[in-house]
Amino acid sequence: MVLRSGLIVALLALASPGFAQDRVLVVTTTTDLRSLTEAVGGDRVVAASLVPPTMDAEEYQPKPQDVLRLKQARLLVRVGLDYDLWVDRLLAQAGKPAISRGGPAYVDASFAITVLELRGMSVGPGDGHAHGSGNPHYWLDPKNAETITANILEALARIDPANAAQYEANRQAFLARLNSKLAEWEIKLSALKNMPIVGYHNSWPYFARRFRLDFIDFIEIKPGVPPSPSHLAGIVRSMRERGTRIVVREPHEPERDVAFVANKAGAKVVTLAASVGALPETDDYISLFEVNIEALTSAAARR
Amino acid sequence: MNDALQFLWPSFLVAVVLVGIHAYFGIQVLARKVIFVDLALAQIAALGATVAFMLGHPAQSIATYGYSLTFTLLAAVLLAFTRAWATRVPQEALIGVIYVVAAAMAILLIDRAPQGAEHLKQILTGNILTSGLNELAVIVPLYAAVGLLHWLLRRHMTGVGSLVWEFLFYATFGIVVTSSVAIAGVLLVFSFLIIPAAIGVMFGELLSRQLAIGWIVGTFVSAAGLAASFAFDLPTGAAMVCAFGVSLALAGMLYPFLRDNRRWAMRSAISTARWIGAAILAGSALQLAAAPRADQPLIDMAEYAIPSLRALYFTRAEATTFADASEHAERYRREAEQLNEMERRNRTQGQALDDFSVARISSFMKSYGEMRKGEQFVMGEVRARARERVRWGASFGLLALSVLVAPVRWRRHQSTDKTNKQC
Repeated sequence: MVLRSGLIVALLALASPGFAQDRVLVVTTTTDLRSLTEAVGGDRVVAASLVPPTMDAEEYQPKPQDVLRLKQARLLVRVGLDYDLWVDRLLAQAGKPAISRGGPAYVDASFAITVLELRGMSVGPGDGHAHGSGNPHYWLDPKNAETITANILEALARIDPANAAQYEANRQAFLARLNSKLAEWEIKLSALKNMPIVGYHNSWPYFARRFRLDFIDFIEIKPGVPPSPSHLAGIVRSMRERGTRIVVREPHEPERDVAFVANKAGAKVVTLAASVGALPETDDYISLFEVNIEALTSAAARR
Repeated sequence: MNDALQFLWPSFLVAVVLVGIHAYFGIQVLARKVIFVDLALAQIAALGATVAFMLGHPAQSIATYGYSLTFTLLAAVLLAFTRAWATRVPQEALIGVIYVVAAAMAILLIDRAPQGAEHLKQILTGNILTSGLNELAVIVPLYAAVGLLHWLLRRHMTGVGSLVWEFLFYATFGIVVTSSVAIAGVLLVFSFLIIPAAIGVMFGELLSRQLAIGWIVGTFVSAAGLAASFAFDLPTGAAMVCAFGVSLALAGMLYPFLRDNRRWAMRSAISTARWIGAAILAGSALQLAAAPRADQPLIDMAEYAIPSLRALYFTRAEATTFADASEHAERYRREAEQLNEMERRNRTQGQALDDFSVARISSFMKSYGEMRKGEQFVMGEVRARARERVRWGASFGLLALSVLVAPVRWRRHQSTDKTNKQC
């Protein structure tokens, strides 16, 4: 619904010429990048994301209107690292060099990110990702927002230099707010130190690294392939051995498989949002972490 | 082993129950020639659940079940009529249309409510591995009731009765299929439905005999599929479907031995096998001669199974280079894994690494990945060159082998024409 309203606003902006010249229309692939773009752009930009928040962005199937949105956009922000490969085909269809790879208004937000689990292009899937170019869930480390917003800022300042100072100020204000929150979150999550966690999909390495969380295993080791019985048996065994009480799942991941593992090992299922809008009340980048950290700490407190 | 049993017995019980009801329905479905009706019914039920979801009912509620059931019953009415309508267009075509339209409508609806995508997926892709006693508690009484109803009405369930009986058949079948698909997924339910029934029909005349064969085969093959999935670390549903496929192929090979003249069957089986072997060998010979650097499925498979076969055509220098590259590739893989493991451990243990150190680790891992790819390229190149060198001799050898394997009686070829008959 956030997407719809964002889109309506964006289309309205286009319908009224004076207004459209004022504000920069930005298209992002995911809601997380939309939220971060809004943080930098403030009221100077209108941002819309292509993938609805409750869908798996890695399996998104673009719609004809997405091409239209790209044609109207002045800036494109994507996740990169093979996470949103489908956008390349959309860009080819839209045929706008400015927002295509190498253009001045094309932002690969993963630029200059410290990538985890990088294997090189030649190595096949081994731990939940077919991505040789590294694990793409980097926005789940709040520290990485610094780099992502810097990438967005650079491009915004390039296409709208008149407002560059405003964008810079917006970004600084946002990062200050985020950093004070980050200190809070680190204290809250220190309660989960040495507490083993099992995830459904390997979406959490950046999150785990920042908050020192121990993800010991994943249910789905190859994307789209159901787990084999011996793999599940191994997970349940190591969960029992290490007294794992938390199994993490995202809203779009199969409920029954996760509940099955959790029941066998006597653990609780915690549903976390890996993207803005995937759960209620995760309206922007900061509340995404608020909701997830609240869910984790309350699950850890329930013994 | 203990682990395996503990994990697999609930799935096995579920499989036995599913085979129990679906082998029966499968025989009926085969007799009516409506093979894909289960897919259509499952899709219609999913469409009903999607509509319920769109109207705001939670996934597991009575209302959602009610919608599914209503849609299934409506589809049963439609299906009961399809036989009457199917005069110039085959009934299967109408069933296929029902299936694709229901699937497409569900997608269109889902498009309006993004949260539903996962919901729809869960209705149609159950996982038998994570099913168990909870599911059994629902399906055992339900399927027993359906089975009893069909037994009581067995005289009317022959597929030639009035529309009412046809409706009843499709309605009960729809209810069964809908619950089964949510547990085991579309692919596996289709196998449960068709394969034991097909084997039963092949080897039995009476319904009771067909059923008994279907049940025995279904139970045995389910157990084999589950065991293979555990032993070889495979996704369970897919492993079971393949086990059922293999069982049908074996039954097909066994069929002539039990039905026809055994000696003739044996002779024709051997000569078919020899023709197939000869064709594979001759094809491989041509492939090697024409494109020695391309994939050579037969040779590649043989070398994968027995790596020492390479010694037959590698020179000593080639063998050394190959072994060296293989060793290095493995070393780079290990090094990269060690680095990754170190970074992973460091997320929770010890002093946290700063971004710079992690970036360094990542860059090393990437380099190791590329170096490994380089070594693999060397291995491929050495092998391709060696094969290029021996292409003519080896192709000739394979061709000669193919001629030997082919069941042609060379000696009497000139004396009598009739002995050249290739069965």
